[in-house]
Amino acid sequence: MLDVSHIDVYYGDLQALWDVSLTIEDSRIATLVGSNGAGKSTVMKSISGLLRPKTGKIFFNGVRLDKIPAHRIVELGISMVPEGRRLFPRMSILENLEVGASPEPARKMRQDTLAWIYEVFPILKERSKQRAGTLSGGEQQMLAIGRALMSQPKLLLIDEMSLGLSPIVVREISRVLRDINKTKKLTILLVEQDVQLALSLADVGYVIENGRIVGQGSASDLRCSEQVKEAYLGISSAGKAD
Amino acid sequence: MNSVIQTLLIGVIIGSLYGLVALGFGLIMGVMKFVNIAHGSFIIIGGFISYWLFTFLGIDPYLSIPLVMIGMFVMGLVLYQLLFSPLLKLPRPEMRLDKSLLITFGVIWILDNIETLIWTPNARTIITSYSASTLNIAGIRLSYTGLIGLGIAVMAAVALHFTLTRTYFGKHVRAASEDSGAASLSGINVRRVYLISCGIAAALAGVAGAVIVTSYSITPSSGLSWLLTAMVVIVLAGEGNITYILPAGIVLGVIQSASTLVVSPAYQQPIALIIFILILMIRPHGLFASR
Repeated sequence: MLDVSHIDVYYGDLQALWDVSLTIEDSRIATLVGSNGAGKSTVMKSISGLLRPKTGKIFFNGVRLDKIPAHRIVELGISMVPEGRRLFPRMSILENLEVGASPEPARKMRQDTLAWIYEVFPILKERSKQRAGTLSGGEQQMLAIGRALMSQPKLLLIDEMSLGLSPIVVREISRVLRDINKTKKLTILLVEQDVQLALSLADVGYVIENGRIVGQGSASDLRCSEQVKEAYLGISSAGKAD
Repeated sequence: MNSVIQTLLIGVIIGSLYGLVALGFGLIMGVMKFVNIAHGSFIIIGGFISYWLFTFLGIDPYLSIPLVMIGMFVMGLVLYQLLFSPLLKLPRPEMRLDKSLLITFGVIWILDNIETLIWTPNARTIITSYSASTLNIAGIRLSYTGLIGLGIAVMAAVALHFTLTRTYFGKHVRAASEDSGAASLSGINVRRVYLISCGIAAALAGVAGAVIVTSYSITPSSGLSWLLTAMVVIVLAGEGNITYILPAGIVLGVIQSASTLVVSPAYQQPIALIIFILILMIRPHGLFASR
């Protein structure tokens, strides 16, 4: 479904990704794990069109993504929940969701999609008139996911899903994601600092370090691999403690 | 007592015109973070178009407003394509402010000179059969042109408000103004939103020009003084608070007008600037800002 092949990405003169390749198959949950600054978000921004790779190509169902603008990529069926959620804080929850249904086909179905999202996250329905900026962190993440789903994506990119959220909220959102993946056959690419969580949700995983892919495999293999255990599982449990 | 009420009502009328002048300027600034200091020149061009339609074709200045708007809308699109769209390549949106300020300052010179070539430096105004007539109620006299101007300003502001809050396009505009990156991630064609907003802003400048030319005389260089007032209004309203632009304009108009009861009318412009500085000192986010 998604095929990122050999991309180099720069911020100005600064190279952030070296020869990154990854493939995601239909209706899977994939994850990209790595420490802070490893380049996870850069990969996500390159797929969603916010950044342009200098070399390499990105294909989605045979369509080349790295030459078309971000809003067209959404129309093709890739939707991203950006890091930090980036809601429209002065707009209501309902308006945030409506804006998510901007591509033409999604716009026609928006009442149905909206009903479904309210079913998945009932809190959003209760607060639909409230400004997005007034929501708690967990509710904001739910809204961000809801907004991304409003465009009827085939592939959902989630950048730092659990950042700053309580374990209860993380569990709730994880359950919803797993559910949507199963029932709607939605493919998901998850970027996570919490490696344990990411590998428990995902089918396959990629490990990124200093802008390079250094490991890949099924989630269960990665969980057992010495490399991941040493580098991340140790760090992530220490990170939870403080 | 009547003269006090009359003075305040005249303030409302003038203030609504300030609001109308500031509307398009505030839209561009709120949505794109561009300072279009040439907005005043756009207003004057709108006024001259209205003047021509009246002088050569005999079309009533209020009836010709839709024509002026269409012409100015196209000008807004051209301005965006030629000058603003290259600025979007700047790495950070904050950098748009000063760059657009410099560029549109140059636009003022170009437009004002073109206006002088076409319309000569002479002051122009539209005098209709009803220009001198006034509405008299209980000893208060208000000119019809002023009252019609007030009505048009309110209509324009309400129309813009409902466009921004009730239509899909308006929600796209607001989303793009809050976070253009997140907007394009939501499937919004941000450049198209910018382009059309620019057109709407220029069309609003056209409306303001058409209203101004019925009550004031215009010259190719008179745009800047209107624009300066518009900037005071924007500061009063708070940047990005498009809904409060008209109320802020009216507040400014009433204060200016009320001041003539105490000091000489010559102090109106300085009073606007004093308010400008006071607001920046006390409530830098604007009089109506919730932040």
